[in-house]
Amino acid sequence: MFLQQLVNGLTLGSIYSLIALGYTLVYGILVMINFAHSEVLMVGSFVALAVFRFAPAILPQGPVGLIVALVLSMAGAGVLNVVIERFAYRPLRHAQKLAPLISSIGVSIVLQNAVFLWVSTQSESFPELIAATQFSIGGAGVSSLQLVCMASAIGLMMGLHFFIEHTKVGKAMRACSDDLETAGLMGIDSSRIIALTFLVGGALGGAAGVLYGLNYGSIKYNLGFLPGVKAFTAAVLGGIGNIRGAVLGGFILGIMEVMAAGYIPRGSDWKDVIAFSVLIFVLLLRPSGILGEKIAEKV
Amino acid sequence: MKTAGGGKGAPLLEVRQLSQHFGGLKALDGVDLDLSQGEIVSVIGPNGAGKTTFFNVMTGVYPGTEGAILFNGEAVRGLPSHEVIRRGIARTFQNIRLFSNMTALENVMVGRHCRTRNGLLAPLLRLPAYYEEERRIEAAAKDLLGFVGLLSFGNHLAKNLPYGDQRRLEIARALATEPKLIILDEPTAGMNPAECERLVELIRRIRDRGVTVLLIEHQMRVVMGISDRVVVLDYGVKIAEGKPLEVTKNPRVIEAYLGKECD
Amino acid sequence: MTPVSAAKWAGLAAILVVPALLGSGNYAYLVQAGGMIGLYMILALGLNFTMGYVGLFDLGYIAFFAAGAYGAAICGAYNVPLLIELPLTVAFAVLLRLGLGVSILRLRGDYLAIVTMGFGEITRLVINNLDSITNGPKGMEVPPLQLFSWTLSGNLGYYYLIAACVALGVIGSRRLEDSRVGRAWVAIREDETAARLSGISVNEHKLLAFTISAGFAAVAGMIFAHWIQFVTPESFVFWESILIVSMIVLGGMGSIYGVLLGALILGGVPQILQVFLAGSKWIDYRYFFFGVVLVVVVLFRPEGLWPHKRRQAELHEEAA
Repeated sequence: MFLQQLVNGLTLGSIYSLIALGYTLVYGILVMINFAHSEVLMVGSFVALAVFRFAPAILPQGPVGLIVALVLSMAGAGVLNVVIERFAYRPLRHAQKLAPLISSIGVSIVLQNAVFLWVSTQSESFPELIAATQFSIGGAGVSSLQLVCMASAIGLMMGLHFFIEHTKVGKAMRACSDDLETAGLMGIDSSRIIALTFLVGGALGGAAGVLYGLNYGSIKYNLGFLPGVKAFTAAVLGGIGNIRGAVLGGFILGIMEVMAAGYIPRGSDWKDVIAFSVLIFVLLLRPSGILGEKIAEKV
Repeated sequence: MKTAGGGKGAPLLEVRQLSQHFGGLKALDGVDLDLSQGEIVSVIGPNGAGKTTFFNVMTGVYPGTEGAILFNGEAVRGLPSHEVIRRGIARTFQNIRLFSNMTALENVMVGRHCRTRNGLLAPLLRLPAYYEEERRIEAAAKDLLGFVGLLSFGNHLAKNLPYGDQRRLEIARALATEPKLIILDEPTAGMNPAECERLVELIRRIRDRGVTVLLIEHQMRVVMGISDRVVVLDYGVKIAEGKPLEVTKNPRVIEAYLGKECD
Repeated sequence: MTPVSAAKWAGLAAILVVPALLGSGNYAYLVQAGGMIGLYMILALGLNFTMGYVGLFDLGYIAFFAAGAYGAAICGAYNVPLLIELPLTVAFAVLLRLGLGVSILRLRGDYLAIVTMGFGEITRLVINNLDSITNGPKGMEVPPLQLFSWTLSGNLGYYYLIAACVALGVIGSRRLEDSRVGRAWVAIREDETAARLSGISVNEHKLLAFTISAGFAAVAGMIFAHWIQFVTPESFVFWESILIVSMIVLGGMGSIYGVLLGALILGGVPQILQVFLAGSKWIDYRYFFFGVVLVVVVLFRPEGLWPHKRRQAELHEEAA
């Protein structure tokens, strides 16, 4: 029972982590909540669905199909995120603090309704890119989908780690995240790095969208909201702006949610209450999140 | 000169062995300082010597790790900032921090906050107490704007004032809290010689109102010109204290400054 | 009389007289829409204290509206008279706000946003799950407003009650804005550290603004519940909190008339569209356009449609 819940929690956590990374990357560099990220995730899942509908040949069942779906969705979601940044956020870079947030709320509404109006108003079944089979590991039932989900998510996180720590652009990203202005003075083209950050963040969101569809079997125009909110919670929990924090927060939240639903009477009704309560509690103890750095204000 | 607070001889401010550590870093390490009423004292030292940290601990921005700050005989280390201000210490900032989208007059009126009392009821019901206090706040604020030479700019938004005026507005706002001690953090930074001259004159007039002045200053000409005493910090430690001319001849000070700025 | 003040009086007269004329005709829905817009105005004016003046984000503000509405519903279920219900409900909402407020005083802007959002969701879920008190997702019936033996019913009556509350809200906001406390709030928004070092007890003033905001929301919630005579958790979703925040940003943070305008546009346009587009395929487009308008307005007027002009009166005085 416990092992079973743990597996479910890790699966959910891996999806939350991927989404949380998108929030945290953008926050790290621009100090803004990209509210539209949850819609980028939703659009990512619809990209895979569209490819499956119009060109099923390139999405064969099995690992190849999954990888193709991931790559296309990541590209679609990444580009969308860049476009959003270019048109809805960049003009507001020097405006008052809340303006980009409101703009992102507007973008979020637009995207959600665009999909609602022109794509689909109801649940659409997601292609079975991987055949669902059940394994038993130490008494816990594990499905192939869950394993694929976790493996893909962990693979992507490792890729991100390599990209940020060991490539030149990755280092430029870290420099911008540290201090955008100084990085600009050091000759880094900060606008390009910001666009790149949105590309990477959006791509991770797109991948999460595919894994979400795979795991739940169906997708809908409003699927982004709840995981988006939870993932943002996870990012804050871990310490927003901190990449390892986002991953840690995602897994903690995922496991906690599943455990709450499993072990507390009427737990599934209360799981969201518990998730948010933990968030508030953690922030009371550590206002900058679990791994976040304390930022002392300069006076 | 005699004051209401302490008798002759009792210093206005006594700082004893004040330390502020950040992790392993000792930003301030056992600093002592006495100020008497009506003095102008400059704190100098190379960059990173702990000058601003010292001011921050004095005004409750940092709690301080050890030591005591006695102001008018009362221990104020670790008090919340607004309580320190209420007890009569006011300050300005190295990087100007005005309320940008408020007018110059409003900025100074905010400074009157801790000396006034109206809550919600008087303004909501427009009681006589409201009008009476608002009039006093505004009169005092205008008086101070005049004192720093900004009376005709009262209706300008703070962010639209020229740099030098912003510095003087910050001083007016600090004075509005009726301090016994005002702490100025690099008041002449970025000013041209003419503006500097006016500011030095303003600092003297502040002292003439009976307010003690403690300032961080980099321009030696200013320091030499107005200070009754000079305190030198280096690496969080007080390395010298005395009359301006004595201090500049002190070998430790010369060593600390060697190869550094010295106009 | 100047043209501006003439227009003002004409507008005021229209707000008061037209609904009575529309009373029960074909356009009666406008009275209801007007009442809803008025409720949004009360909410936006209330949140303006926290968000507009003090600059603190609240993405869970609707929770206090919910507290007011459910306070009314629960009091109604036990036949509590209005004169007790009102202070009880407002006190409940305010205590809720202070409980949350004390715990989040240390948090910075974006953390504040997420914690308040979490709190808003917790409130809705608790209402949803506490079947024994709130009847859960099925909702509760609420009796109409009753003072002694006099009962307020019908859209027009509530419209006027709401209009009166909006007027009180505007007057209260204006008077506080121009006071010692109001200046302290704005100073905190502009620079919290400088405010603290100018002698303002920042925490105390934040809590004061929280209290007032919660009070406005509670009153609006009570009126809403008695008017619609039914409450369900679905009326208090996250979307509503976003809507109110958007009203303030769209209109102009800290600007009373801006906030009213924001409430009029964001609260009114979807309702008007709903009526005019009913039956046509465009009805589904209303949220889409809502989003587009939000983005466009923020892009072109990031300071809001009707930003606050500080000390305008004084400038006039000098010119005269």
